[in-house]
Amino acid sequence: MIRWENCFRYWIQCNEYKITIVKHQLTNKMKSITPTLNFFVGKGGVGKSTVSALVSIKNSLNTERTLLVSMDPAHNQGDIFKADIGEKPLEIASNLWVIQVDTDRWIKQYLKETEESVSRKYNYQKAFSIKNYFKVLQFSPGIEEYALMKAFESILLKHQDKHLIVFDMPPTALTLRFFSLPKLTLTWINELTKLREKIHKKQEILSNIKIGKKQIETDSILTKLKNMRENYTRLKDLFISEKTRINLVSKPDELSQSESIRIHKKLEDLGKSLQAVILNGATNEASVEYYKKHIPARQYPLLPESSKALIGLENLREYAKSADAEIEKILKS
Amino acid sequence: MLQDIEEINRGNVSELHEWEERELRNIFALLVVGSFTGIPSPPVHITMELLPEMEDDLRIMLNRIQTAHDPLGELFSLLDPM
Repeated sequence: MIRWENCFRYWIQCNEYKITIVKHQLTNKMKSITPTLNFFVGKGGVGKSTVSALVSIKNSLNTERTLLVSMDPAHNQGDIFKADIGEKPLEIASNLWVIQVDTDRWIKQYLKETEESVSRKYNYQKAFSIKNYFKVLQFSPGIEEYALMKAFESILLKHQDKHLIVFDMPPTALTLRFFSLPKLTLTWINELTKLREKIHKKQEILSNIKIGKKQIETDSILTKLKNMRENYTRLKDLFISEKTRINLVSKPDELSQSESIRIHKKLEDLGKSLQAVILNGATNEASVEYYKKHIPARQYPLLPESSKALIGLENLREYAKSADAEIEKILKS
Repeated sequence: MLQDIEEINRGNVSELHEWEERELRNIFALLVVGSFTGIPSPPVHITMELLPEMEDDLRIMLNRIQTAHDPLGELFSLLDPM
């Protein structure tokens, strides 16, 4: 007699297997990432978005395919380029595309996927309203940076054809949480894996005693933990690799200087040194001395104040040409 | 008769291991869903990723909570077959 329950279970298993294959293909694709990644971090209001836009324009003028990604929920790139920019890449100029990441959409999508996955497994729990619980989960600590990480991974996978991807990062707190996410996650995963392996060993002893030497089923939790460890190790390695360049934007004032030092120290803890400290609005070499003394970096480009408002492609191009040598330092650093 | 003795011994040993395995899984579940119990918990995305696979572990944890108020009873039931 056909047991429909078994058929349904088998159907679910097949679907999960398909999902695993797709995930595996995506992971393999991620192993061969080619574009250089340029992150722009710094205190709010120092000009991260403008500097990111200038660097992207300069790189596209060098006939290199460039993608500018705004990760900042404030989304200034739309205002800077005077264009309606969304999650779909908008070709602003030749060789230059711009995206604004919608963090809320990524959080909603992640929660929806998790909710479906939990509901599939616990489908008998009809009285237990999972939906309401997931509505609250979007306000959990850590969700925002995880959504950014998901968006980051997806962008990397989709834009392998680009030479350079420029990330205009959110305010300091969220940016630092984003960079620490792989390391923090790995610490937990390693501890949970150790405990799970201990459980698995116990289960093996039990199966030996009860049914003699027979291979016991693979622990699905252990498999998941191992997959997660593989993925986050790759992300952690990517962040500390030469391909990833973190540039600090600052202004020659006391508050920006203090926050810049804090950012540098936190990144140093994560094993990452700065590629460039960009002084926005600096007029002379003297203002660089403080930064050279306190924050080690490969380059210290100076970007003088612009006489015109840096809004619109034409004005940005004009400024990029006038500060050509300094912007080139960021790209070549 | 020797076979019966072996069966009994196997039963005793396996019960102890089973108890240890249950305890470890209880700790694992407590760690993963720690945010609900006030224990330092892993980032939410780890919990959410593991939750669909944790049906049995959660059941063990819930059973353990039920017997938590009767530790003597549990100890005697464990020592009973010895």
